[in-house]
Amino acid sequence: MNEKVIVANKGLIRADFNFWVGRYLDKFYDNLENKKIVGNTCPKCGDVFVPPRKICGKCNEVIPLEENWVDLPETGILINYTITPYKVNDRAFRKVKKPQTIGMIQIDGSNTALIYRLLNLEPDNIKLGMKLKVEWEENTKGDPSDIRGFMKI
Amino acid sequence: MGRQVCVASAGFSEHASKRSDVNMPELVNEAIVDCLKRVPSLDIKDIDAFVNGNMPAFEGSNIPELWMTDWMGARNKPLMRVTTGGTTGGSVAIAGYYSVAAGLPGVDNVLAIAFEQQSQGDTSVGLASVAYGEISVMNSLGIPYDQLTLLLSGGAAIGIASYQATNYMRKSKITEEDLARVVVQNRHNAAKTWWAHLKMPDLTIEEVLDTPYISYPLRYGMVCPASDGACAMLFTTEEKAKDICDIPVFVNGVGSIANETALIGYGGSGSGQLDLSEQLGAQKTSEIAFNQAGIHFPRKEIDYAEVYSPFPNQELMWVEKLGLFEENTATKMYETGVTALNGELPINCSGGVNSTNAIGASALERPAVAALQIMGKASNQVPKTVHTSLGHGWGGYVNLVTMMVMADEPVRKY
Repeated sequence: MNEKVIVANKGLIRADFNFWVGRYLDKFYDNLENKKIVGNTCPKCGDVFVPPRKICGKCNEVIPLEENWVDLPETGILINYTITPYKVNDRAFRKVKKPQTIGMIQIDGSNTALIYRLLNLEPDNIKLGMKLKVEWEENTKGDPSDIRGFMKI
Repeated sequence: MGRQVCVASAGFSEHASKRSDVNMPELVNEAIVDCLKRVPSLDIKDIDAFVNGNMPAFEGSNIPELWMTDWMGARNKPLMRVTTGGTTGGSVAIAGYYSVAAGLPGVDNVLAIAFEQQSQGDTSVGLASVAYGEISVMNSLGIPYDQLTLLLSGGAAIGIASYQATNYMRKSKITEEDLARVVVQNRHNAAKTWWAHLKMPDLTIEEVLDTPYISYPLRYGMVCPASDGACAMLFTTEEKAKDICDIPVFVNGVGSIANETALIGYGGSGSGQLDLSEQLGAQKTSEIAFNQAGIHFPRKEIDYAEVYSPFPNQELMWVEKLGLFEENTATKMYETGVTALNGELPINCSGGVNSTNAIGASALERPAVAALQIMGKASNQVPKTVHTSLGHGWGGYVNLVTMMVMADEPVRKY
């Protein structure tokens, strides 16, 4: 019988990746640090984007960096949601004691949706179109984790 | 026969080692805005189809063409992604050319876009998934993977180039000073190009030779930088190009040939090529592209060339292998100023890949600059009138060569 010996060497390659957010998202995160949500609006069709963006794809219109900013409320409605028994931020497949719900929330006055955790909500009590409110992290850092999740009003 | 294809415009984003002021879609948008600025009668809505490409895994961002759709103006329009390693830009250009040449109904204006934001990722690790430095060379030599483990290997792209360089230096009997001269010409040219990365208007040969070796014979001062940048090129039909721009550039020949490691044999071994500076792929590519373009004496007929040369030895090698100069004479041409901005056959007046290397975009920037030189709209415009030019690309798994031959008139049909 022919037996083949395979030698396996284990090693680690370190690869650091950055993500430049650009000036528009920079403003968005600066405002998150101050516990405020801002978006920007297309000068042509009036769509409001959260997070803000440079181009409105529908109109191919450039939204100027210094203009068209909109202050938005901390409230929104639930567009869609899912429930998972696994940890969301962990790479390992780890189960959590209580299933987590992740929702797609449209901030009032905007045309786009954010995806965040729904806090203190039993799966049975979730209804599409329900009103939700931002739950801020105590110490904000100016990144997406400043919003801990959304709560029922 | 397909339709005659023309280049109507080309544009660039600003290149730098770290464009942290923009995210990837915004960087691409910069190039598109610059491209469309030269054709004022055309709106982004008039673009019918898009070709997009970058090096996979370099930024750690997968399927970037999907999430930058709005920034390209490609919403609800045909969009194709092409990626062939270092020649990505060249393949994107050729895909753009084919998209127009095919003559599909409703597809006349095609925007070819290539980009790279290398500061976001770890290029050496990204490269490991494509071509691992010296391993690629050993594959070319015919050494399979299982024997490779017995050998010492390392290095990134420079590992490939240093073997090419030593082979070439021995054959053509040139010195390190000759390599440095190429670098100096490129960096001086880059200083006059608004979008270039390494602008060094006062660089001298001594300064280049004063930098430490990375891998003999290539020194730190000779190798290309890692840049963030994007390039866009507008392909259209002959009729439309005549409407929207003053001097349409006719694409008369394209070629792309794979050689060396393309011939994967047992255990990943390549073609068994001992002389890495032979570059049969480049010779064949130029033969095909020149034949299509009706160019029989490239040395006389080509007025301007942009070749893909991250390392100076490659620039000397390519201009010979592509048939622009006699074998072993390229060094003399650089010495006597034939290849300078006001020379007989200017080469890489944008500063070339040696001065600006946003990998995915680099091979698209070559035909883009070559086309702009014919239009007379290049950033570092050569003083003489350019009738014919070529843009060349090299890369992939060190195997692929792409080429595009352009002129200010269509190819004569006999």
